[in-house]
Parts: sequence; C-alpha cells; structure tokens
Amino acid sequence: MSKVIAAPAPSPLRAFWLKWRFHINILLILVPLGFMPRYFSEAALFRGDTGIGERVAGDVQVGPWSLTLAEFRNEGPRPDPAGPMKFFNAALCATCAEQVKATYLRIGKPRSLRAAGVIFFGTPYRMGALLPVPERTPADAELWVTMEGWDGTMHQGSIPLSQASPATIAWLNKQGVKP
Amino acid sequence: MSKKSRSKLWFLVHSWLALPIWFFVLIVCVTGTLAVVSQEIVWLANPDIRASKPSDDAEPLSFDQVISAIKRAEPQVIVQSIIRPDETHFALSVDLSYPDGRSVEVYVNPYTGAIQGVSPSFNFKQFTRALHGWWLVPFTNGYSWGWYLVSFLGLPLLASLVTGLVVYKRFWKGFLRPTLRIRHGARIFWGDFHRLSGIWSIWFIAVISITGTWFLIQAILGDNQISISSEPIVPVIAREKVPLSAPGVPAPMIALDEAIKIAGERIPGLDATFVFLPSNAYSHLQIGGRGWYPLMFQTAQLNPYDGEIAVSHLLSDRTTLEFVTESMRPLHTGDFGGLWIKLIWAFFGLVLSMMVLSGLLIWTKRTALATLNALKRSNKAPRQPAPVPAMQAETTEAN
Repeated sequence: MSKVIAAPAPSPLRAFWLKWRFHINILLILVPLGFMPRYFSEAALFRGDTGIGERVAGDVQVGPWSLTLAEFRNEGPRPDPAGPMKFFNAALCATCAEQVKATYLRIGKPRSLRAAGVIFFGTPYRMGALLPVPERTPADAELWVTMEGWDGTMHQGSIPLSQASPATIAWLNKQGVKP
Repeated sequence: MSKKSRSKLWFLVHSWLALPIWFFVLIVCVTGTLAVVSQEIVWLANPDIRASKPSDDAEPLSFDQVISAIKRAEPQVIVQSIIRPDETHFALSVDLSYPDGRSVEVYVNPYTGAIQGVSPSFNFKQFTRALHGWWLVPFTNGYSWGWYLVSFLGLPLLASLVTGLVVYKRFWKGFLRPTLRIRHGARIFWGDFHRLSGIWSIWFIAVISITGTWFLIQAILGDNQISISSEPIVPVIAREKVPLSAPGVPAPMIALDEAIKIAGERIPGLDATFVFLPSNAYSHLQIGGRGWYPLMFQTAQLNPYDGEIAVSHLLSDRTTLEFVTESMRPLHTGDFGGLWIKLIWAFFGLVLSMMVLSGLLIWTKRTALATLNALKRSNKAPRQPAPVPAMQAETTEAN
C-alpha cells in the first residue's frame, strides 16, 4: 500500500493491476469449479460406470471369437513422445473370455502373429491398447484385430478405421491426408 | 543499502509474497490438509472400509485365501490387484473387474475375505488429492497446467519462510519465550500467532515447500522427457516363456503365496503389501512392499507361470539422487509411517493454513493503519508524498 501512496501517478497498467489484483483469487477459485463436471465424468469413465469407452464402435468378428471395440475417448490421437497415440478399449465376447490368450490391434493387416501390433492389457471384460497412429495413415485404412488361443491358434478380423474412430479420420484429414 | 532499509525491503517482500493470491494459497493449504487425512475421514464416514475382526484371535488371510473368498462370493469377477493398507484398521483395497466392464476398487475384510462394499463413485480421497494436486485441471498432454499452478506455490512458500526468518529478528528466542498476547487486540494477537506458529512450523514449511517445488521440477522434467529413474523398463514376457496349453484352458500359474515367498527370498525383509496380477498372458506378476527405509517401495516382477523373477527394483538399486527424489512425495503427504505421522502432518497443515489467514489479517489491519496515517499526513501537507509512515508502520509492527 505504501507504494501506492508514494507513487505520484501510477501508469494505467499499474493502476489496472492495483485495482484488480485481488480478483485473481476469484478467477483461480473458478478454475476447479469449472472443471468439476469434467472431473466427475472422467472418474466415471475410468471406473467404467459409463461403459468401456466414450463411444462404442461396434463388434468385430475374429474367426470364431469376437470383441466389442470402443474408443476410450471420442477424439483423435493424442500427441506422445513416441508419436500420436489413440487409446482403444475392448471387451471379449462372453463365451470367448476363457478361450483367448491374447488380443492385438494394428492398422493394416499383420503378416504374422509376431507383427500383430500392440497387445491389449486388462481383463476380458475391459481391456485397453494404446495404438500408434502414423500421421500418414490413409483415411480408408482398416483396423485389424488378431487373437491368439491358448494352443497358439491365430484368428484375424478387421473393422474400417472410419467406423472404429471417426474422430481419428477427422484428425487425419486435418493432418493433410486425402480421403 | 543500509541495514535498516534492507530489512524493510525484506519485510515488504515477505508481506507481499502470497498476497494477491492469498485465497488460492489458503484453499491449497486447506485441501492439502484434508488430503493427508482423507483416508481416515472415509474410515469415519464409511463402515465398509473398516477392517473389523470377526473374533479376537482372528488372523489375516493370505492373498491366495483372499482371492478364493472373493471368487466364492462372486465367481464372475477378476481380481486385478490387492493392496494391504499400512494401517491395520483399514480393509484391503482390491481392484475388481466386473463382467459389465466396470473396474472398481472394493473393500475386502482382511480376516474373512468378505467384500464389504464397492467404493462409491464419489471418491473423497481421490477428489481431495486431485483438487489439491492439480486443481482438477485434466491431464491431456503431459502434466496439467493445474499441477504447475499448485506446485509453483512451493517457491513463494519457501521465500516466505526465508524472508520471515530474516524479518523476525532473533526468532530463536521465541522458542524459549513463547508469546501469545490475547488481551491486546486482534492485530497483536494475530501477529503473535503468526510468529509463534511460524517458528514451530519451520521444519514443516521447509518440507512442504521443498517437496512442493520438487513436484514443479518433476513436471518440468516429465514434460521434457527427462528421466532420472534407474527403474528398468520391463518388456513383456518372451513368447517362448509362456507355455502353450490345450484350447480353452489357460496355462496354469503359480500360487500367489508361492510367488510372494520367491520374491521374499530375493528381497530380504520384504513385507509384501501389494500384488498386481498379470494384466495379460504375456505380462508379469508384480509384488511389492516396504523395506527398512519406510519412504520407498521395493518390487519384484515375476513370470507367473514358472516364478522366475524377471526384474526387481530394490532399495540398493536406487541412486543417491533417487533416494532424495523418491522420498519427496511421501514427505509431502506424510503417508509413510501410519496414523500418527498423518495426524502430525494434518495438524501442521492446519497451522500453515492459519498462518496464511493470520498473515492476511495482519496485512489488512496494518495496511488500514498505515493508509490512515499516510492520509493524515498528506492532509497536513498535501503536496508531500508520505511513504515513510507507511513503511515505518509496517516494520515497527514486526518487532
């Protein structure tokens, strides 16, 4: 305060600061209040109270088995040090939970089990895979699901990326990929 | 600069450090205090989280027995992890995966294995920690800006401590002659309170501000992909190390208690308090607990089919730097030695909150006085600026 009195004519910027500085508190308190609805919807999403993901893409038939594929978040890939990543969640069909040893996800058809893509982590009821999405992915790409049985048998199935994640297609188009 | 004007400057810095955002600082202190005892508050509010003994001589179940009891009660669920809390009055925290896709924490009685309740969708413990830790600002790409906002406060807090001790001349005398004048008006009372609680909280303010500043550094390092961790990155289990089995028959895994025994042989003195079950056919079983140093955990990751330890992360694996940096979080939260340490942390958290409030009250009263004095003088001599009385009012009050 002493400085206020000492200063003969504060500059407009300083006058503005002196007048409004305590209102920063109000702005700062509004921040968590504003984010609260989002916090609770995210908490429900992580618990699975609202299903396995924000948007269920549909069922993918994989040989005798199938899974329900969902986008964890209904949005394009997120930046990551290892390149853009998109998180998919899935649930195995009720009858195949015991049958399937591992499930993999990849853009484009894998040539072998060793190149089946990223592995799903979690339980048959709710599992997730972080899929790298190269920026030059063609918009008509297919998302391939590979499943492996306990005896080593392998089955494959696919779903168009446009169906699995329209938000990723929109993101690819924004990156300059022609449909 | 003369000694006197330098102390005036220190005083001004101390007075102004948290001021424009004092309410924000206060709420961060209060939510931090709540976060320290959040688990205890839930214990008081929700009977499901209490570990009641069915009889006086009841013994806690082993992890295998707990899983069997859960499977008997709910054959469909899959156990993902079991955590035995530090304090024995808390139920086991078990993460269960349900067929409907929910993955939730449930509270399991450590003596009977009974599922006492599912954690409510409003998780008070997580909420207070999220509010205090990152102001509820979501993490979208790296650390959230809320995290930066809160952890940045470590710096003014540290500066408040240092300038406070510089301004409070011969503060160590306050230990010998504690002064808290109650009958001399609010201004004197709050001044005494601020100084008295300040000197007794020196250690706590230092701990909180340094660890808080570490959280800021941690975020900066993390967002720039700089890692100082010696913890090995564990690849998935090699294909040939996972046995093949008949179609539809999952390959058999070793018992959990057996795995804990194996881990105990590798980590002498391991008190296994948590188990993370493999999250797919090619991932490891993780077992961990505290060792002789209560601020850090030791872990081992095993091949669940043959019990081979793929990797362990022991106290002796940590670098000296890691001993310091990994101790930061438990030192900040106070959750490393049971209830009493938490209560001490909560008490001083409350004192720190009161210091923010008393600091503000002093400032308000002193500034009002100083302004009044300044106005009086400028009325007498309208053309003369009057910075001196205000400054004097501020410094003399301090001594």
